[in-house]
Amino acid sequence: MSLRPPLLPALLALLALALPLAAQDAPPLPGAASLIRVNATNQNYNFAKPWTKRPPYTRRGIGTVIEGGRVLVTAELVANHTYVELERPGQPDKTPATVLRVDADANLALLVPADPAFLADTVPVPFATDVRVGRQVAVAQLETNGTPAYTPGIVTTTTVSPYPSDGIALLSYRISAPLQYRDNSFTLPVFAGPALAGLLMRYDARSQTAELVAAPVIANFLARVAREPYRGFPRAGLTFAPTRDPQFRRYLALDEQGGVYVASVSKGSPAEKSGLKPGDVILKVDGHPLDVDGNYVDADYGKIPFSHLVSSATPGGSLPLDVRRDGKPLQLTLPLEPRDPATIISETAILDRAPRYYILGGLVFTELSRSYLKEWGGNWRSEAPARLVYLDEFQDELPADQGKVVFLSEVLPADTTLGYDDVGSNRVTRINGVPIRRLEDIALAVKKPQAGFHRIELESDPKILFLDARKSEESAEELKRSYGLPALDNLSANPLP
Amino acid sequence: MAAKFLFAALAASQLLGFSAAWAAAPEIISRSLVRIQTVSQDPDYSAPWNAGSVEQGVGAGFVISGNSVLTNAHVVSNARKIWLTRENDPKRYPARIAHIAHDCDLAVLEPLDASFFHGMKPLTIGEIPALESTVMVYGYPIGGEHASVTRGIVSRIEFMEYSHSGADSHLVVQIDAAINPGNSGGPVVQNGLVVGVAFQGYSGDVAQNTGYMIPPPVIKRFLKDIADGRYDHYVDLSISWFPLYNPAARSALGLPDDGRGVLISKLYRGGAADSLLREGDVLLAIDGYDVASDGSVEIDGSEVELAEIIERKFRGESARLDLIRDGKPLTVTVPLRPFPYTIYANTYDVQSRFLVFGGLVFQPLDQNFVNTTEITNSRSRYLFDHFLEDDLYQQRDEIVILSTILSDPVNTYAEEFRHAAVDRINDRPIRNLADAAAALAAPAKYYVIEFVGASRPLVLEAEAVSAARDRILSRYGVTKESNLQP
Repeated sequence: MSLRPPLLPALLALLALALPLAAQDAPPLPGAASLIRVNATNQNYNFAKPWTKRPPYTRRGIGTVIEGGRVLVTAELVANHTYVELERPGQPDKTPATVLRVDADANLALLVPADPAFLADTVPVPFATDVRVGRQVAVAQLETNGTPAYTPGIVTTTTVSPYPSDGIALLSYRISAPLQYRDNSFTLPVFAGPALAGLLMRYDARSQTAELVAAPVIANFLARVAREPYRGFPRAGLTFAPTRDPQFRRYLALDEQGGVYVASVSKGSPAEKSGLKPGDVILKVDGHPLDVDGNYVDADYGKIPFSHLVSSATPGGSLPLDVRRDGKPLQLTLPLEPRDPATIISETAILDRAPRYYILGGLVFTELSRSYLKEWGGNWRSEAPARLVYLDEFQDELPADQGKVVFLSEVLPADTTLGYDDVGSNRVTRINGVPIRRLEDIALAVKKPQAGFHRIELESDPKILFLDARKSEESAEELKRSYGLPALDNLSANPLP
Repeated sequence: MAAKFLFAALAASQLLGFSAAWAAAPEIISRSLVRIQTVSQDPDYSAPWNAGSVEQGVGAGFVISGNSVLTNAHVVSNARKIWLTRENDPKRYPARIAHIAHDCDLAVLEPLDASFFHGMKPLTIGEIPALESTVMVYGYPIGGEHASVTRGIVSRIEFMEYSHSGADSHLVVQIDAAINPGNSGGPVVQNGLVVGVAFQGYSGDVAQNTGYMIPPPVIKRFLKDIADGRYDHYVDLSISWFPLYNPAARSALGLPDDGRGVLISKLYRGGAADSLLREGDVLLAIDGYDVASDGSVEIDGSEVELAEIIERKFRGESARLDLIRDGKPLTVTVPLRPFPYTIYANTYDVQSRFLVFGGLVFQPLDQNFVNTTEITNSRSRYLFDHFLEDDLYQQRDEIVILSTILSDPVNTYAEEFRHAAVDRINDRPIRNLADAAAALAAPAKYYVIEFVGASRPLVLEAEAVSAARDRILSRYGVTKESNLQP
């Protein structure tokens, strides 16, 4: 039996791929002294029943030791954690850890052991700055005996793509690597020689491809961690349309090769502060010409979206913009700032914070967030109340003084809510004449009942509900008892760790 | 409600060609029951310049006084040809629609040849049958050549949506007769009097042996309405109301604990009560009938929804409403007229309206369109779903969307706007399809089409559009470029 000719070159190519890892001159991969097992027990909040937590679950991943006695993992591994524990590979001791800093947008978290001595004689890893398409990398896993088990992979794409939080798009690497499923998660570090190339955040077993948080994003995150107070990754705060359509380009009298059409500018965003307006055409960012789709040619990664210029910039600076408005050139300066959380009407991901709510006489009020809508499952866009989905999706169009979208999420049947059972989710506009822009406004408004009643004005049918002020107060204990409510409100802001 | 179906006329291919010996048919079958055969053509909403596909169907009807045949509107909707046949007479009598009421699913037909009525006996409309009483249902279920009779018990009398229009609710009577598609339009008889017209039911996987008939008050109202030769539609207060049995709500509104009154929670602009009532008014009585706090009224000893009082009235009549406004009693007389918005009603016997420009097809986003196409643009879905609730009809008469793209170099970059709603064209606000037609007919160098919520305007060059015109029309077989009139 002999191999048919076409197979032979393929086999040789496979061998060639495998060779560099085994080759004598390849730089060594990190040993067990740079890897930490991380066991995270997490418990998600139930945003539909905001006073409850869902059952806990445990995930295991592998963290990487970095300088400063810290352990790096993805934010997803420790999201809504209740207990995080570190374990040295092949050693019996475990120690609890605290989450020093987490950035859900960048999908990164830093852990520190309760006992600093726990990381004695570990070897911190450096970050790879030279990962490009075609580069050989190795995904770290651990044998049960603590020996690192590396799976080779190759970088197939370097791009800027949305991260899991739905927040912003950042640099990511896609690799091709046939991973075995171990340790019940794919939260694994990936190395280019001795240096960290990135953290694995998604793995598709069928196509054997993985997406990584790229090392430059990690380095950027650590640079931001070093500057207190922590501020997240900057973003311009605009949406744009490509200018591919030649009829559209002629209408705009665009004779340049590229440029993008500004569709909207978020309130309070750097884009708004720069003076950008819908209808402007951005031709250059930081001197880099943009193509018709908004890409520029990056020295390291080739053609990638210009948002990378914003998100990867060092904190605190600004970028010059070459803009065309009404056919005339214009120079603007884009300040590099993260989004001010206070300007966010409906947050994309609420992590490590209990959902806020306020219960008044059986009426449950809460604030709109993507986390709430996602309680309707994967099809939340069609399953969740249509108006709330709309308000979340088009929140940039709400008035500047909107605050949060406070709405009646549920009616707990009680003597006080008799006849109100069918009132579905409905936005609250005023209570006792007080405009409701955040839950705290309800706490203020209920101190001013009108002739003994709370007058609750809603956006949609039935538009108005009344509660007996005294009975609402008297029923509080009974309500807590019958529905097992630990408290009738949570107005805490629970700052991020 | 999704599983509710009309006992729609069956396609001819489904007809069973069996011939059964039919001896001594009862008098109702031989002298009053009518088999209705139709050829209908439903408008094509995805290629609106086409005439639509042709289908055949079978339904039932019965002879009423005045040489007329009563049936369901849905039996003869979109009909191109209608034939009537009598039991034991092979002749097919061509007929025409004298009156059709899509809002209550009833129609009156007239054979072109009055000899059809020789030997026929009109049936008389009776009263609502009593609960638990037995009724007989006559029709042509599963499309058979010969009449079928089934027996049922009157199970329930309630207010319910009529699925033919999908937007109107009237009184219905539920019976447990095993009736099937093809019964539509057939008489439901008790003691020789018509006590209903069989018209809709549930499919078997939702509920077994559940059929609905249109009861005498609805039939009589329809016949009375058309007595002057014209159908004037149901009238409506055009309000929403909210029950008032919460004690705090009652006291806060200054109402005694007497179980009376509902809150007027929404008024629809342009409706009958629009300028006469206010949101927040408490409705205590209509025409002297007390309104209970759950919205029911007592008529002739039975509890029905308050709308039933308005249901029995006609255009031009008024309703007297006793209200509490700002704590003070007030009586208001409301001249009644139909509900002004038809966006959520299935419409029939009208050609679809559309406009083709540069290979872009524009159509109104209405219930008929939604029935055939899933709307992918979330803005347009919002505009449609909240058109009445959020008073969006104040900004536009209808939602004009880019429904289809007939791909051509002139519209290569239009795909992102599929199903988006047109907001402005060359700075002119677009309130309806005619506005769009006018804006696109006005001479210009560029046609700048702004869509609701889109990230950029769609720009078409006039020269490119006219160069593409014949090419697109012939390539896609577009026989007509617009239909602006219903």
